[in-house]
Amino acid sequence: MRSRRALGALIVGVPLALALLGPLLAGGPGPRTASFTLGGGHWLGTDFVGRDVWRQVLLGGRSVVLVALAATALSYLVALPVGLVSALTHRTWLEELLMRPLDVLLAVPSLLMILLVAAVLTPGGVGLALLVALVNVPDAARIVRAAAADVASRPAVEALRMQGETWWRTAVGYVGRSLTRTLAADAGVRLTGVLYLVATAAFLGVGVEPDAADWAVLVDRNRTGLFVQPWAVVVPALLIVALTTGANLLVDARLERRKRT
Amino acid sequence: MTRLRSWLARRLLLGAAQTAAVVLLVFALTEALPGDAAVARAGDQPDPERIAAIREAMGLDRPAHERLADWAAGLPHGDFGTSLASGRPVSAYLTDGFGPTLLLATLTIALLVPIGVGLGVLAARHEGRLVDRLVSSVTLGVYAVPEFAFGVLLVTVFALRLGWLPPTAVGYGTDLLAHPAALVLPVLVLLSRPVCSLARLVRAGMIDALASPYAAHARRYGVPGIRVRYGHALPNAVAPAAQQLARTIDWLLCGVIVVEALYVIPGLGTVLMNAVAERDVPVVQGLAVVFGVTTVVLNLGADLVARRFAPRSEVVA
Repeated sequence: MRSRRALGALIVGVPLALALLGPLLAGGPGPRTASFTLGGGHWLGTDFVGRDVWRQVLLGGRSVVLVALAATALSYLVALPVGLVSALTHRTWLEELLMRPLDVLLAVPSLLMILLVAAVLTPGGVGLALLVALVNVPDAARIVRAAAADVASRPAVEALRMQGETWWRTAVGYVGRSLTRTLAADAGVRLTGVLYLVATAAFLGVGVEPDAADWAVLVDRNRTGLFVQPWAVVVPALLIVALTTGANLLVDARLERRKRT
Repeated sequence: MTRLRSWLARRLLLGAAQTAAVVLLVFALTEALPGDAAVARAGDQPDPERIAAIREAMGLDRPAHERLADWAAGLPHGDFGTSLASGRPVSAYLTDGFGPTLLLATLTIALLVPIGVGLGVLAARHEGRLVDRLVSSVTLGVYAVPEFAFGVLLVTVFALRLGWLPPTAVGYGTDLLAHPAALVLPVLVLLSRPVCSLARLVRAGMIDALASPYAAHARRYGVPGIRVRYGHALPNAVAPAAQQLARTIDWLLCGVIVVEALYVIPGLGTVLMNAVAERDVPVVQGLAVVFGVTTVVLNLGADLVARRFAPRSEVVA
């Protein structure tokens, strides 16, 4: 298991470092040359509009990583209060009101929801983060509710209630704190799912400019030149594969360790 | 028996509610959002006259609930409205793209179950040994990789470097069965994520089931190993996997859209992406309803199957 963790860290390290430090190293834009050329002072050649591929790769990771992190955080921002309230309330109608709509939403395919909105609006990066977060809320809220309901049936919560502690202290101070480990595990799993969704949406042209410096967009736009200049496609595709695979290996190694302790 | 019946009733009710929700949501997302469909359709230079004309053509000047009622009433008869871009009925778009998508989905599901279950059982039988470690690591690694990145790398290797397979399905039209070589890569990419998730679940379930007291007891009675494994342990291992199969329908759907875009296959996913690009709202709505309702129905089916295999396990309803 330790080896899997090391492997995961190694695989995810390269794209993560490129994504976070790349924009600092990229430097200014060079002059545009012919599209899909190899060599000529360009380490990885040029892309579909004649920009230096290596510079685009350096710039292109940040949006994927940041949008995914923001979307994961946002989905918990909504799911936590909904899940906590519905687990701790004694009013059945409130619980039904909060959770039933989410059960129904769970059946709608996630990419479909994003494409539906994209048909009417043109969401930017922030819009994409909001959309992906929204798609993740039903599942996250269900997990929060299940974990919180488990904690809420403990005698300690009963004791807190009988002592006359405020709802806020019971819910956030005790139940919320007891959830952190479950949620940390779930957040890892969710992050890999969100990374997948963000990259796929960007590949389909949702939430990004058509010539944006984004790994998924690079793969999409440079596909036409695959047979002339494969590097412009292969390098960003490999980075996305490394990012998602590495993140998944890391998360799984953490889950395994948790299960054994 | 009554419990089963009440569970069945609740599950069917949930399915009906989900279907209604899909229809409502599709309508609400495309019509009630601040970006008006007519404005979006008019393009970069919104000319008020043109917007008004489109609005009238779409019937947007009527109240929303009336339009929803009309639209929803047409759905059961297969009347999805008419396209804004071409004026053809939306159902014609659906029948155009149906063939290739159905072919891709059928092939994928037909291969998914034997490969996924087979890999899972193989890994469980050799638990802790090299085969298991190999299968577990690969399924875990590929599990989260987006289809487009995986697919583009496969094209680079098998079409560009080795030249074994065609890079896309361009030029083959809708009759893909006549060109099986063009189907290999798309189906492989579609299989990648669901196979991994299914194999992992079957492996975990199988290891649990083989270590359980009833399996040990059957062995003590001298029941042959094959029967213990496939007659007793496997059905219990498959029950949680059947529910996961429903989750993977969501992935398959995302996958179909991506794979059709990547390999230029003229199926429903391509029709959907074209309609999104052209802001052809009625076509998007029609496709979204078809995709959404398919997901709801398949989810329902998977729950029924899971219930059949392991009647004791509580399936959420």
